[in-house]
Amino acid sequence: MGNGTVRYAALIERLVESVLAGPGHAASELRRAVFARAFGPHPLTLPLSSPLSGTERGTGGEDIAPDLAGYVDKVALHAYRVTDEDLAALKRAGNPDDVLFEVTVSAALGAAVGRLERGLSALRGEESSPPDPLSTSWRGGMQEHR
Amino acid sequence: MRLHAVEHGHRLTERLKLMLIRVVSMRRVPDVVKTLFYRPEFFGRQMCDWTQAVMRGPSSWSVGERELFAAFTSRLNQCLF
Repeated sequence: MGNGTVRYAALIERLVESVLAGPGHAASELRRAVFARAFGPHPLTLPLSSPLSGTERGTGGEDIAPDLAGYVDKVALHAYRVTDEDLAALKRAGNPDDVLFEVTVSAALGAAVGRLERGLSALRGEESSPPDPLSTSWRGGMQEHR
Repeated sequence: MRLHAVEHGHRLTERLKLMLIRVVSMRRVPDVVKTLFYRPEFFGRQMCDWTQAVMRGPSSWSVGERELFAAFTSRLNQCLF
């Protein structure tokens, strides 16, 4: 279990660093803001039908254009609702494919890592406030549970 | 695939791999594979390393059990698995 903890944390950190800080078409600050917004508080505490404001979603929301923020929330909370028109509208607004690719990956990764961390936190029996998505402390909690 | 670049914009090496997959499997390459092969140094390579470790690496869960978890999670997300 100990070895698994170290290996997974390192692999996740490498992935997150590559997506958020590696060379890309979208600014690294935007990718970080998208990741933080998608990381979010626990999804079950939010009404799924209501749009999520930057304030509700914690850090990062203020750096994202409103149309992009709506797309990020969709990817993070119910990706199956994304439509061709969503992407077409974002392209018409001047976002190239590579920017949208990076935003989509950052959003999906943020949502996934946020859920993973909250799930592991629940298994440990913790009742804590949501971790800071852009700190490295959350990675220390990742371990295999059975 | 909704992004043209991820559907058709792969570099030569990845394009050849996708072609090989298509020929060997005699099926359309799944979108998830196209996504992983698009600029793999950005996302796909690291994602595959993590997935491989979690799904096939040493664990007290069997490979079948792990695949079942993944299928169940995808079902909850209304995502075809």
